[in-house]
Amino acid sequence: MLIRLAGGEVVDPVNGLAGRRDVWIKDGVIVDKPVSKRADKTYDVSGCFVMAGAIDIHSHIGGGNVNTARLLLPEQHAAHLRRPLNTPLSNAGWSTFNTGCLYAKMGFTTVVEPAMSPSSALHTHMELADIPIIDKATLAILGNDDFLLSMIRDNASPAMIDDYVAWTVSSSRALGVKVINAGAAAAFKENVRRFSFDDVVPSYGVSSRTIVETLQASVGRLGVPHPLHVHANNLGIAGNATTAAETIRAADGRPLHLAHLQFYGYGTEGKRGFSSEAARLAELVNGNADVTIDVGQVMFGQTVTISSDVTRQYSGMRTANPKKSILIDGDGNGGGIVPYRYRPDYYGSLQWAVGLELFLLINDPWRVFFTTDHPNGAPFTAYPDLFELLMRRDARDAKMAELDQSALELTTLASISREYSLDEIAVMTRAAPAKLLGLDDRGHLGPGAIADIAVYRKGQDVRKMFADAALVFKNGDLVVEDGVVTHYRWGKTLRLNPPPDKGIVRRMQAYHEDRYGLSLDWFTFQETAISRENPFAEVACRS
Amino acid sequence: MVAWIGSRTVPLSAAIEQVAKLLATSRCPVFSLDSDIHGCRSLIALAERVGATYDHVNGRDLVHEVALHTDIGGFFATATEVRRRADLIVVGGDLPTAHHDLLLSLAASKPDLSGGGRRRWFQINGKAASAGGGRPLRLPKAVEVGSPDYPVDAVLGILRASLAARKASAALANADAFLSAMAKARFPVFVCSHLTDVPSLAMLQGMLADINKTQRATALFLPADDDAWGMVLASTWMTGFPPRTGFSTGSPVYDPWLCDVDRMIAQKEADLHLWVSERDEAPPARRGGPPTIALVRGERPVAGAAATIRIGKAGLDHDGVVYASRIGTLRSVAATTPSDLPSVRTIVSHLQHALTGKDMPC
Ligand SMILES: [Zn+2]
Repeated sequence: MLIRLAGGEVVDPVNGLAGRRDVWIKDGVIVDKPVSKRADKTYDVSGCFVMAGAIDIHSHIGGGNVNTARLLLPEQHAAHLRRPLNTPLSNAGWSTFNTGCLYAKMGFTTVVEPAMSPSSALHTHMELADIPIIDKATLAILGNDDFLLSMIRDNASPAMIDDYVAWTVSSSRALGVKVINAGAAAAFKENVRRFSFDDVVPSYGVSSRTIVETLQASVGRLGVPHPLHVHANNLGIAGNATTAAETIRAADGRPLHLAHLQFYGYGTEGKRGFSSEAARLAELVNGNADVTIDVGQVMFGQTVTISSDVTRQYSGMRTANPKKSILIDGDGNGGGIVPYRYRPDYYGSLQWAVGLELFLLINDPWRVFFTTDHPNGAPFTAYPDLFELLMRRDARDAKMAELDQSALELTTLASISREYSLDEIAVMTRAAPAKLLGLDDRGHLGPGAIADIAVYRKGQDVRKMFADAALVFKNGDLVVEDGVVTHYRWGKTLRLNPPPDKGIVRRMQAYHEDRYGLSLDWFTFQETAISRENPFAEVACRS
Repeated sequence: MVAWIGSRTVPLSAAIEQVAKLLATSRCPVFSLDSDIHGCRSLIALAERVGATYDHVNGRDLVHEVALHTDIGGFFATATEVRRRADLIVVGGDLPTAHHDLLLSLAASKPDLSGGGRRRWFQINGKAASAGGGRPLRLPKAVEVGSPDYPVDAVLGILRASLAARKASAALANADAFLSAMAKARFPVFVCSHLTDVPSLAMLQGMLADINKTQRATALFLPADDDAWGMVLASTWMTGFPPRTGFSTGSPVYDPWLCDVDRMIAQKEADLHLWVSERDEAPPARRGGPPTIALVRGERPVAGAAATIRIGKAGLDHDGVVYASRIGTLRSVAATTPSDLPSVRTIVSHLQHALTGKDMPC
């Protein structure tokens, strides 16, 4: 099948081929214009922008904690509308099916669930397999687990650490490694309520810094393409920009990704002791070329926070809205579910502005990533509004007029005139995520890339343009027309597969039998358990 | 022999055709389910297709366990973490028999995290709980705290007040011992299930909220039926909602009263009942109820059913995925005695094809 997208304005900064040209798809892959061949199917996309499918590097779309949040809050996601033909369960308010459809209609074709507990990997992958259309991936959480902390305490060799990290990534079928408030969840189980970068986990004598540095080095040695994904200490606390700054400095010239930096952009100035340090952090990011960040933008309205940072989630329980929450002490990190409503009051206004400052003051769109930390800062359905805020200063000004002025005065937002160009948006949401995750086959429209393509109708209304793509192709299949999902296909979950060392498998067997009284097969699974055809696709580690 | 229409043996294809016809013409079908995750996924997708309302076969127990999560929330721990860390375990009320092995294995192990050491046990003693299904488990090392004169929630209320005041109540046996053990414990865990009725669960979580202000404490929730809890999880990610949920309007509607399958049958709202039980429990005999379709493991047609189809059981006849309280998450189980009996998913996939000519989403 040869498909031609004719007459669109192509936005493809990687290949530098901006401007009007046709895009050709053959058997799910983008190809050069074939010589003397006619297209089997031609779509007239004149008056449209043609971009690669967007990639979300940090969005909590599936797994035990997400599902617990659904369970806690049935009143928050009443289903709506009778569903269209051919897309079963797509209208269910907050379901896996609905998630795939909502992403696809905005032109997103790959989404990373960034917080998979390795011990409940099967559950996560079962949910991801029920998300239609898009490709998915997960990051495996390490850094509060007894096995790793014990190894660090006992001065295990780097090779031993690598074997364990590789085994975890491989057996949980992850695309990378994340550390969440390193050491704090283990410390919280021993009643430690505040935990900073140089604090030490009781019973192990290991600091948060050491855990982060150990994992960062191991991820580097193993050739995991995605740098260690760090959820730093002290999330949400006034004055925590210091913690973020310490963590950035600890990167020490090696790649490190800092998640949802907005939640760390706080100083202690002002009457309420809660101010913006975004400008300082942005400068620090600008000066550290090996550091990447995603923002975790706050948008106003009802949401629910889902996090494996139990220390933070416990303190958040006080402000739960509605007043109910769940806190789980699980293996390693556990998790906390706390519903929350972002209001345009002092605090909400400040958080909103901090996120935008980071977006606008970090110069390099290859190093700042577009996230709301769904659903923690806002549900991902707020993306079209966020695109507008980044691309239109007048939209920002209009919104600022509705917010708490005393909060905005403690930020630099009013002075920033920058507007993101479409090229920069394409870098930030397509090219850069593909590079960061090691996915060479996507994020651009060059020959050989998979045909994940989003076509947007040009218009003044940025929000509308990004809310309802005119056409979306996933691996060359047309899946969205005029913002409506027209049919299901089943994407893959992208994973690394470093060959596990035999010694570590034996050690893990002994460990599980000894510590849990259960054989290792209680905790691992075969691909066939997923019950879809080829549910996984392998991504290579760098050698 | 795997299928019957009434009591007449028929080829599977004939039974599928008959069942599909019944489903297609039903105005208000209801499903009672008992299967592994894959079986439940396929049945929920079928429920959407035919506008059915679904619940677990043991929905009456499940509704309280779901309410614990939708209405109360609170502090929970996985059994794996409890095994390794709990230095004090408090068992509240009766526990489902299915979990006695888990409790006994906890009793036979010692915590190894947080410095390790000894594990102490208490058992809350109160007036017998209302719900059935549980059997008292005698833990030889456990100290009984409470009083046979008060219901469990009242005992918990007194303990909660005593903990807050740091002063034991004379009304309860061993309250002193309990208080001093709690004061010393680093990671106390309260084991609970729906058999500890809803007011008790609310009281327990209130107590945990109090304790966590200064110390750590949590609860180990053990569902009455692991397979039913697995169905809750699959239903929640597929539709956004736990059971009781129905598709009578086209989109999923969660409503524990409206979508109570037993009520719908009793009040003659339902005009077709699909009964699925891998454990081979027969549907309850009802006079004047709607026609029943039975998917069961037994070798005989279900008496009075319009159609019966034999199915295998996940983990026995074929591989499957189930919820396991032992690890607090899903687990893949291999067939122990593989057989030719079709899985629920296979049968439902035949039904979907007969109804729509298309593949199903699950
Ligand atoms: Zn996150």
